[in-house]
Amino acid sequence: MNMSVYGMLLVSSLAIGSIYGLIALGYALIYKSSGLLSFTQGDILTLGAYLGLTFYSILKIPFVISLILTMACAFALGILLEKGVIRKLLNKNVGAIYVVLATIAISYIIQNGSQLVWGTIQLNFPSVFSVSNVNIFGVNVRPEALMCFIVSIALMIVLHFFMTKTRFGTSMRAASMDSMAAESLGIDVSLTTGVSWGLSAGLAAIAGMLIGPIYGVYSTLGSTIGRKGFSGAVIGGYGNMYGAMVGGLILGIVETFSASLISSTYRNLIAYALLLIFMFIKPTGLFNERAIQD
Amino acid sequence: MKSKTLDSKKLIALIVGAVVLLALPLVLPNYALLILSFWEIYIIAVSGLDLVFGYCGQISLGHAAFYAIGAYGSGMLHEYLGIPVFFTMIIAAFISAGVGALIAYPSSKLVFHFLSLASQAFGEIVYLLVSHSPGKITGNYQGFFSDYINLFGFELDTYTSFYYFGLVCVLVFLVIKTFMVKSKTGRAFTAIRENSHAADGMGINVRKYKVIAFTVSAFYTAYAGAMYLHLTKFINPDTFVLKQSVMFLTMLLFGGSGCLLGPVLGSFVVLLVNEVLRALQDYQMFVYGVLLLIVVVAMPGGLYGEVMRLVNFIKGKATKKAEVK
Amino acid sequence: MLKTEGVTIKFGGLTAVNNVSVHIQKNKITGLIGPNGAGKTTFFNCISGVYVPNSGHVIFDGQNIEGKRGWQINKLGIARTYQVINLFWKMTVLENVMVGMHSRLKSGFWSDIFRTPAQRAEERRAIEKAYEWLDFVGLKDNANDPAGSLPYGGQRRLEIVRGLASDPKLLLLDEPAAGMNTKEKGELDVVLHQILEKGVTILMIEHDMKLVMGVCDYIYVLEHGQLLSEGLPEVVQNDPEVIKAYLGGDDE
Repeated sequence: MNMSVYGMLLVSSLAIGSIYGLIALGYALIYKSSGLLSFTQGDILTLGAYLGLTFYSILKIPFVISLILTMACAFALGILLEKGVIRKLLNKNVGAIYVVLATIAISYIIQNGSQLVWGTIQLNFPSVFSVSNVNIFGVNVRPEALMCFIVSIALMIVLHFFMTKTRFGTSMRAASMDSMAAESLGIDVSLTTGVSWGLSAGLAAIAGMLIGPIYGVYSTLGSTIGRKGFSGAVIGGYGNMYGAMVGGLILGIVETFSASLISSTYRNLIAYALLLIFMFIKPTGLFNERAIQD
Repeated sequence: MKSKTLDSKKLIALIVGAVVLLALPLVLPNYALLILSFWEIYIIAVSGLDLVFGYCGQISLGHAAFYAIGAYGSGMLHEYLGIPVFFTMIIAAFISAGVGALIAYPSSKLVFHFLSLASQAFGEIVYLLVSHSPGKITGNYQGFFSDYINLFGFELDTYTSFYYFGLVCVLVFLVIKTFMVKSKTGRAFTAIRENSHAADGMGINVRKYKVIAFTVSAFYTAYAGAMYLHLTKFINPDTFVLKQSVMFLTMLLFGGSGCLLGPVLGSFVVLLVNEVLRALQDYQMFVYGVLLLIVVVAMPGGLYGEVMRLVNFIKGKATKKAEVK
Repeated sequence: MLKTEGVTIKFGGLTAVNNVSVHIQKNKITGLIGPNGAGKTTFFNCISGVYVPNSGHVIFDGQNIEGKRGWQINKLGIARTYQVINLFWKMTVLENVMVGMHSRLKSGFWSDIFRTPAQRAEERRAIEKAYEWLDFVGLKDNANDPAGSLPYGGQRRLEIVRGLASDPKLLLLDEPAAGMNTKEKGELDVVLHQILEKGVTILMIEHDMKLVMGVCDYIYVLEHGQLLSEGLPEVVQNDPEVIKAYLGGDDE
């Protein structure tokens, strides 16, 4: 194989890896704010892809505006989920196990519900750019794949500055470290938690709209990606924002290269095996985050 | 003391129940017997899951994998090693228990919601392996054919005979479950569910008991999977997807977890819902999601919990009336 | 019976317990007092295996137990109660006591699932014994109620017998009188002495000075994670350092 093949593989692994990273980032935000695991991430990705498709291809709204609209819808959905279901359950003092179950239930409702609305057939997401290939250093790259990577990294950087430099971001971080102390400092913990859920839903929806043009849109698109995003999160160190992105990218690279160099039959198996290996042998992940151990 | 006075009433109920269960094949058409046979299979699978969720407080989303290990294991032991079918079922269940222990041991140090994802990943791996097996030893997507159960020369080739066989299996599995939960082991499970830190302080080796619960549960579900194979004589990977794990979980929660009759009730109701909504098969996950959500939000005790509440309510009214008189 | 040598526990940069050495005498009631946040419960958690000390030793009956897991320490003969009541709420009062017996029951998984004659006999004896324990703290009539339905004082007493059910040599009580009224505290005083008569040594954290000074044979005072004073109740009571810590503190 020559260099350009490796180059192509690298670009497509970074594209899918950054999608895993965005999902993993959402898991981290939710974990930090509520100490919970939400199973809805992947299905919100699916919903994002469908919504984006509807805005962009059916309503003919420009791509960037469609992206923003999709993100806004998902953000609202995330807040609604936290305020309408999760918070209510926690206030009723049901065990965390039931809250996680509720997210499992909602995930199936979203997944099957979107099938009800958009049908069972895989839909084509029309290409976003007028050219089908761009040439970078002699490597032919689909512009959509490049967009995946660039937008994800941009989002990551924006989120980093939001969390460290803005007042609200700092409050969010404070609330995640010690919610009682944060509350006594006058931080609206209920708001920061809601926003965390909203942001993670928004990130998942954007991921859906970015991957849609590459993978096509179907109702179980997100459930696989959601699980792999989770693998990415565990590899990086569950609950760590930077670990999430790094873990997602690593997973994307390992998966894409092993699939094309060894065998594509067990492509998904590699992601799940990596998840189990990390969980069992290095549960703190690459960034040494102590979250998932009892 | 209290239970002794109820004994005669309970005994009558038991005898009536037993007669009805034994007489059913005489009156029911074949199709209904098939459904009842599935019910028996699900009761065993879901009762096993109950040990993990209802007693130990852990979520497993990977029980379809154990169902698959039981079914394919039994089928392959029979096909390739020529072991008679009933023994293959038991061996396969033990193999599954071993695999369960291998997964549970490292998982036992994880916070519960991470077990749910670890088990889901495990389920996906098993699914990938049976659908893309090397050398096609599982028949991959073409499926896998096997024989009826052979009990010492007597072949269970009718729904009626399978139904009776299943009845005995259910009885044995439920009795063992009852023995287990009403003993030191079962109390340890429940204590872990209620408060794992306090359980540790009371001398309970939390990790060990989590592994035991998961291992036994893997045995139950695998045995049910093997029953399934030898009832239908054919399996393919489509049965062993995540949807199956979710169905088990829905049966358990909707019926009521942490009790003997919850899984019995839940598997029957969900089985009926599936049969009635056959036309909506593509939307089963939606139905499961809604049922699960109803349980979480409105009735954490499941159907069994609601029935008991109703019974206690009526009893309470009755005693009040008696007091007034 | 129990000795600690220079036990130190750090959380991140914070030192919660600093170089604490105590010696708990057999068949005595020892008190551990000190202002809130002095590190008393952390110190308890270190003895009972919740935390592993960063340095120092915990020696029980001549054996180093630091680093052992909670369940192993329970098996060796140290039982405990919790500051925040930690009962198994949905289990019955009787079952709570029987969980407490876990370490002392010999039946294992196989004898449990086949309900062997030996297992049955043991269960029967365990139930009898559990009723005796419940009788001891006056909860016999509530045996089949869920633990969550007990009134507060009952919950505290159930926690104590749940700990005693493992036939410990040493019982750690973390604020047993918290939230009790004067009458209940009086009863607790009696119960503590009865426990002592059964040959169980007691180490307890308590804020109620009247109770502590009344029942304890020896007292250790902890402040900011360090041992401030120790001695007989009357000695500690008159120690100017202790008086300063308590009067100077804003929380007592």
